[in-house]
Amino acid sequence: MELAPQMLVDAILLGGVYTLMVIGLALSFGITRVINFAHGEAIMFGAYGAFWLLTVWGIDPLLSLPLLLAGGFVAGFLVYETAVKRVLHAPHINQILLTFGLGLIFQNVALILWTGDERSANPNWAFDAFEFNMVVVPYGRLIGFLVAVMLVAALFAWLRWTELGRASRALAEHNEAAQLVGINVSLTYGIAFGISVALGVAMGVLVSFLGAINPFMGFHMLVKGFAILILGGLGNIMGAVFGAFILAFVETSVGYYVPNGIGWAEGMAFAILFAILVLRPRGLLGQEVEG
Amino acid sequence: MPLRDITTPAFFLGAAAALLVSVTLASPQVNDWVFRCCTLIMLATSWNLMANAGLISLGHSAFWGVGSYAAVLTANGLGLSLWLALLPAFAVGVLLGAFLAFATGRLRGIFFAISTLALSEGLRITAFMLPEVTSGAVGVFLKQELRPSQQVLYSLGVLGAIGSVALAWWLSRTRFHYACRAMRNNEAAAQMLGINPMRYRLGVLMVSGGMASLAGGINAWYGGYLDPGMAFTLHFTILSQIAPILGGIHTLVGPVIGSIGIIFLSEGTRIAFGANEGYSQLIFGVVLVIGILFMPHGIYGVYRRLRQRAARPRNHAPTHIHQAAEGTPKEMRS
Amino acid sequence: MKTLLSIRNLRAGYGESVVLEDISIDVEEGEVVCLLGSNGAGKTTTMGVITGLIPAMGGRVTYQDADLLRLRSHQRVNAGIALSPEGRKVFPNLTVHENLLLGSYSPVARPHRAAKLEEVYSMFPRLAERRAQKAGLMSGGEQQMLAIGRALMACPKLLLLDEPSLGLAPRIVMQVFDAIARIARTNISILLVEQNTHAALSVATRGYVISGGRIMLADDAAALRDSVLVQRAFIGQSGGSDAVPAGSRRHA
Repeated sequence: MELAPQMLVDAILLGGVYTLMVIGLALSFGITRVINFAHGEAIMFGAYGAFWLLTVWGIDPLLSLPLLLAGGFVAGFLVYETAVKRVLHAPHINQILLTFGLGLIFQNVALILWTGDERSANPNWAFDAFEFNMVVVPYGRLIGFLVAVMLVAALFAWLRWTELGRASRALAEHNEAAQLVGINVSLTYGIAFGISVALGVAMGVLVSFLGAINPFMGFHMLVKGFAILILGGLGNIMGAVFGAFILAFVETSVGYYVPNGIGWAEGMAFAILFAILVLRPRGLLGQEVEG
Repeated sequence: MPLRDITTPAFFLGAAAALLVSVTLASPQVNDWVFRCCTLIMLATSWNLMANAGLISLGHSAFWGVGSYAAVLTANGLGLSLWLALLPAFAVGVLLGAFLAFATGRLRGIFFAISTLALSEGLRITAFMLPEVTSGAVGVFLKQELRPSQQVLYSLGVLGAIGSVALAWWLSRTRFHYACRAMRNNEAAAQMLGINPMRYRLGVLMVSGGMASLAGGINAWYGGYLDPGMAFTLHFTILSQIAPILGGIHTLVGPVIGSIGIIFLSEGTRIAFGANEGYSQLIFGVVLVIGILFMPHGIYGVYRRLRQRAARPRNHAPTHIHQAAEGTPKEMRS
Repeated sequence: MKTLLSIRNLRAGYGESVVLEDISIDVEEGEVVCLLGSNGAGKTTTMGVITGLIPAMGGRVTYQDADLLRLRSHQRVNAGIALSPEGRKVFPNLTVHENLLLGSYSPVARPHRAAKLEEVYSMFPRLAERRAQKAGLMSGGEQQMLAIGRALMACPKLLLLDEPSLGLAPRIVMQVFDAIARIARTNISILLVEQNTHAALSVATRGYVISGGRIMLADDAAALRDSVLVQRAFIGQSGGSDAVPAGSRRHA
């Protein structure tokens, strides 16, 4: 059990990062009710963006983050305006296939531009770690955690205290009433989508110094993200946070305590997903799901 | 929507011709195209069957993959011939479909789509993590002595394609079809009509799953080598979604037209851009997006609309029925 | 008096079915006009067209001498039209206070937010008491006051009220209509849709009776009170069933 403190710290740090991974997806679904199957590609482009800015221009990922956030927002808004908007009232299948197709396009654009080789952006500080009571905390992971927490907190603050944030919440609650108080639904949807993509891009920046980058990395994270969202309850942002930490804990403990655990840990998300679907489809905090 | 398509007999004639051509003409290139087209037709038809019941599968590679592994591993392990090895391939697909039906219960739309994704990814990881069974990342070769001639495989592919379409056609004539269509639009209402959604869902997923896994099995025997990435790859199975969209979703002939179109596109880009896989997949993505945005009823839909416009002047009643049949834009969200 | 809202030969409905065949209504500045009729007659559909939630199939709607149908919903709110909808439609998980803040979301209303909040809270002291409570947890009467308050926050020139008495106990109905009368005195024009004719005619200056998607009667409130036709309209034109399903209005 001496592993426990280290495991705990690892799990918490991972949980924060996972939260950032899904929070954008939770936001766009919560407000527009469209599931963005290309969210993984936002993460992927964020990672490549940070990598490119570091290797070509020498800009530290943390410094390029604000720029990439802005870029992600604009890109997300544009994608909404040109494509997603048109399928807002279409059958689910259209929405699913549209965003899935967009994801496919982005993955292969990246493949063509950057080839399938794995990359990583490694600023100097990412390799150091500090020790604390026999627990090793790599700086990279700690910074990643802090950035994630800051961004998620900023999102919550935006939702709670700003006009647009409140309008977004209203829109999520009652679409018709939101129109009646003068909210520009289309614009608000676009903004929410833009923010959601920006958050995905931010996650990508973290991945650039926490892990490896390749054009198809987004897919795996997307599926995990879904597992988290369903665990927490689709449409519930707080649920997404809980789900993220729960998955982080499950994965980390499997990694530590199960032989060959690291490999199996990756599969935990899917096991959890199916378990939830069978036992309690609404997830932890979600609303009753009808058949 | 009337499925006594005049194109259906034409398809069967064309398919018979393809069979003859593929067996007698020795050109491996053409045969390869025909073969890939046929397995794609099986996959696309299978996907379309699910879509007809309102179940959107994003992880058809799950069925393809288990079928592939079942066909190869049982053959290697038990020394089975092609025909015998395909039985377990079909069976695992059916079982997996049943599992999916029970796991997802009455959940539709997003939940179902996500489950299929998770199933596919989960199986891939499992295949990777169990090298004792699957040879893991190293991959497994089909034993050389078991492999039949290419001609046999080509013929099998064509048979599989014809069989799948025939099965879909037969199902479309039965109560099964209308039940699925009702379910697609509104499961609650369908239940009130006496349709038991669970039973039909189980049926759809088992038939569809078996069809897809059979295709995977046949393909595995064709290629002779398998690893988790290949088996559960999305790259080929994504085509199983694009083909019906391109050709005309919810129709009989759509998956076929779409598959042919996809193979053309695929070969065309390969010739134009070389072996770089990114380009053909990119084009598929574009086709999918453009299809959804501008041609949601696919090529067949365009064809049908042109035929309508030529045949009748503006007459409200028939078009209204067609809209309802195709799944109107006001379909309920699940 | 200037005409604020003018509807001429309006035709509207949902999908294939037509609910409003031919509706013509005027609301002049400072007036309280009520729209009476039984279920399914088209009252809420009329509100839907004015707010932009339902497209018009034919006819004209003019507001402040300009074509209203050109404006999108949120632009109409900014132009001074606010609706307290049928069924209240408050934001259930947001607090009373947040609901009211949202009422003044539009650019024209935002500068006056603080003053308007004062007004609404003093008009509806119950809302002030419950300002931090989630709107969905309140009683029907409280929600109705919130819906009206929220509409007032938009600084409307034309206040639309759709069935404010629905589902409320008579005592609460009185309170709500007292508030409506007070609002009327502030010179805001009001278009009121109601099934409770007695309450409606107690605050209105004029009224229309809708039946089968057409205006059956238009007159001063006093005259309407005495009218036999008004009473008949509530039994339904075909006689018998009160609720005439909207789907029966087929395009012939």
